[in-house]
Amino acid sequence: MNGLGRVEFKVPGGKLIAAEAEAEGGRIVRVKITGDFFMHPEEAIEELEGSLTGVPVDERSLEEAMNGFFGSRSIELIGVAPRDFVHVIRMSLGSP
Amino acid sequence: MSDTWRLIDMRVEDAYTQMGIDEAIAYARRRGETPNTVRLYRWSPSAVSVGYFQSIENEVDLDACSRLGVDVIRRITGGGAVFHDYDGEITYSLVAPDDDPKIPRDIISSYRLICGCVIKGLERLGLDSEFKPINDIVAGGRKISGNAQTRRYGAVLQHGTVLVDCDPRKIFTVLKVSGTKISDKMIKAAEERVTNVRRELGRDVSFEEARDALVSGFEETLDVRLEPGELTAYEAELMEKFREKYRSHEWVFRR
Repeated sequence: MNGLGRVEFKVPGGKLIAAEAEAEGGRIVRVKITGDFFMHPEEAIEELEGSLTGVPVDERSLEEAMNGFFGSRSIELIGVAPRDFVHVIRMSLGSP
Repeated sequence: MSDTWRLIDMRVEDAYTQMGIDEAIAYARRRGETPNTVRLYRWSPSAVSVGYFQSIENEVDLDACSRLGVDVIRRITGGGAVFHDYDGEITYSLVAPDDDPKIPRDIISSYRLICGCVIKGLERLGLDSEFKPINDIVAGGRKISGNAQTRRYGAVLQHGTVLVDCDPRKIFTVLKVSGTKISDKMIKAAEERVTNVRRELGRDVSFEEARDALVSGFEETLDVRLEPGELTAYEAELMEKFREKYRSHEWVFRR
């Protein structure tokens, strides 16, 4: 199991986000995203976390999964962008 | 002629009831039976609320809260942790349909409008403040009000806190500040960032005076008349259900 535990990231000009992610065999097995940002509808966060399970930890795969999730749904994010989630999840996985 | 909205005025309830009422009113909008509503309220016992997405263990000193009899609740709105001090804070909430002509579709614009009601109210008290996107109101560069909005059930619900007085030492006791001991330096830093009505005006503004000013601020900014009213029977029934959710361990410790 790889992961550094909870890592915080202050989005420049935005909100504070944190991720707690774990990977096994190069794939995400668990991720929790927290912070003081806004997402409408709010329950989409649990759906997002679930959708990232099994995604390879490399930046491109994670970005694709993230963009795929937000591209296929009507979700409004405030104080954070999808790429910030990618960034903080990768930080939490200890990725360079 | 201006529209009439309902005012539910300065109810003092516990955290679970207050959040239950806000959600019940938003939910009841679906039936179209409930008028647009502004509430002003206070929390007893004092409580900490965290935003929907926050990690409760990371934001709140749960032992200190239980020792001090401070309730802990998770909101349905995002945003940050707030200490709702019975002795130092008024909360407002506003509910309207999300297609109400007075409420901008764009979320930041609607924050600007609704925060404008609070700013106008503070102005009545003689206090200059301004909207600071995304969701804050600042006076002299220091935060005096934090706000949070959700859109669900076909409604806009925005609630926010207006600091009438505040004791940074109390706030640091209930909210977690990266495990360090509360120092004078931290208190000073907090005083640089956060302010309140009494401090800005240098006098003992009563909750009643602050309440009157906020009511005028909402009326003037929205061009509505606020008429005192109560929850409908339907809302009261819904509130009981939502209150159970807010009380549940599952909800509070959801994230």
